Amino acid sequence: MSELPLLTLPLLRDEDVVIARRRAREAAERAGFERQDATRIATAVSEVARNAHEYAGGGTVELFVADDSLGVRVADQGPGIPRLDEVLGGRYISSTGLGAGITGARRLMHAFRIDTAEGRGTTVVMSMKLPAGTRLAEADAARLAAELARAAPPEPVRELHEQNREVLRALATLEERQDDLVRLNRELEDTNRGVVALYAELDQRAEQLRQANDLKAQFLSYMSHEFRTPLDSILALSGLLLDRTDGPLTPEQETQVGFVRRSARDLLDMVDDLLAASRVDAGQVKVRPSRFAVEDVYNAVRAMLRPLTDGGAPPLVWEVEPGLPSLHTDEAKVAQILRNLISNALKFTERGEVRISAARGPGEGTVLFRVADTGIGIAPEDRERIFRDFAQVESHLQRRVRGSGLGLPLSRKLAVLLGGDLHVESTSGAGSVFSLVVPYTYTEPAAQG
Amino acid sequence: MERIPILKMGRVLLVTIQVDMHDRLALALQDDLTTRIAQSGARGVLIDISSLDVVDSFIGRVLADIAAMSRVLVAETVVVGMQPAVAITLVELGLSLPGVRTALNVERGMELLRAALVEEEEEEYEDAGEEDAGAGE
Repeated sequence: MSELPLLTLPLLRDEDVVIARRRAREAAERAGFERQDATRIATAVSEVARNAHEYAGGGTVELFVADDSLGVRVADQGPGIPRLDEVLGGRYISSTGLGAGITGARRLMHAFRIDTAEGRGTTVVMSMKLPAGTRLAEADAARLAAELARAAPPEPVRELHEQNREVLRALATLEERQDDLVRLNRELEDTNRGVVALYAELDQRAEQLRQANDLKAQFLSYMSHEFRTPLDSILALSGLLLDRTDGPLTPEQETQVGFVRRSARDLLDMVDDLLAASRVDAGQVKVRPSRFAVEDVYNAVRAMLRPLTDGGAPPLVWEVEPGLPSLHTDEAKVAQILRNLISNALKFTERGEVRISAARGPGEGTVLFRVADTGIGIAPEDRERIFRDFAQVESHLQRRVRGSGLGLPLSRKLAVLLGGDLHVESTSGAGSVFSLVVPYTYTEPAAQG
Repeated sequence: MERIPILKMGRVLLVTIQVDMHDRLALALQDDLTTRIAQSGARGVLIDISSLDVVDSFIGRVLADIAAMSRVLVAETVVVGMQPAVAITLVELGLSLPGVRTALNVERGMELLRAALVEEEEEEYEDAGEEDAGAGE
């Protein structure tokens, strides 16, 4: 019986070896071989086809039916196998396939014949007997050939390839994401470290500032104290001179000693303000609450202001809302604030009057004192500045009147100390209104820290 | 270019070969795997070949090479899911996959790798302990 051809496959690329073994397996299964034998045939085809592809640069694989066998012919036009005896004897050591190719294929198949000659290529024909009871007539072989020809290259494989590629893409994307995350994390860590360092620096600065402030308060407190002693001497001695204790003075001398005395008193006032302000800053000022009526404060302030209101000063107008309850807070401090505000108002008022009023405050349980003048007023940009230590507003009156720039800051500090606040409203050129709000009843602030 | 995906599960690299690999693809897998082991410091490689119905001498050699190379890189390789027909054919071919550990399926393979890793860690632990003891004397 002659050969009945089933399928011819070219061996050109790497993938053709895979196709050859797949088609061989398919043909074997269709021809009725068991799974094990189909695997043997496919493996043998794979070995021989690889050799043809690898060493001979390509060839063809033919599948055919001959007698009661499935046959495979692998032919190439390569250089032939130079040491066939060694290869077949298993003595040849291959550098690629464990040296099992040809000998292995021979063991797997029932019949194996190899023809090779140098320069004329190699042809391997091998076959396996069909399972017992299976016969393939000419018609069967033709049908088998047609089936094999029809069977398209298996789709699932292509699909798997596609899925593989997808998985690979997904993995690559994941890796990228992870890299991004790592980078982001690193960036965040850096930022975090920066923030922590910044915080430490801020803490340090705050500590330095606190120390500087403490030092300032301490310094002012000491200095003010040291200033007062010589000033008291000047005042006492000039008083002795003016009393003619040391003999008569000429009118000119009397005027000059009067200047000395007034300047010393001004200076003492400033030193007192400075001392008071630094004491408030240092937290050394105690509130001594007592019960008193608004009129009592007015009287006290009036007495304090007498030296200023003598002569050509603008008149003071005192007002109290009827039925205002009495206060229970530090009378001396309220008086001090009012005195500061009024003396300030007098300094900057050339014409008109200074009106002092007391009324119920805007908040529950507070009293509102207002000191309104008709003076030069305060420009908007200066309204908060005047509450800062040593701040003074330039004006034509500033040169004439003396001041340390501590009166208003001290007043506000005292107001806050009493649980209230001090504000100013003003129209440039039309006057200012200072509003002092304090609670009727002083309550100790909750201990801090 | 075509590639076989490699998944990382903890300290184990998992490769499921679902396509009939041609030779270049098999070599690419070998390269990729060794690179990944070195990069990730994986201690185990699990290769599932249950979908392969032909393993010829070349692929057999690649599997053996992967096992040998990963051992040099301190990773254990287990090949799982080999079909009986493939196993028989391999033996008939004269291949025994030297140095390749095998397991019936992925679960068994994982157990094998896990056991190997635990054992190894214990040994490392003991070694460290002995060193400490020596230093104390």
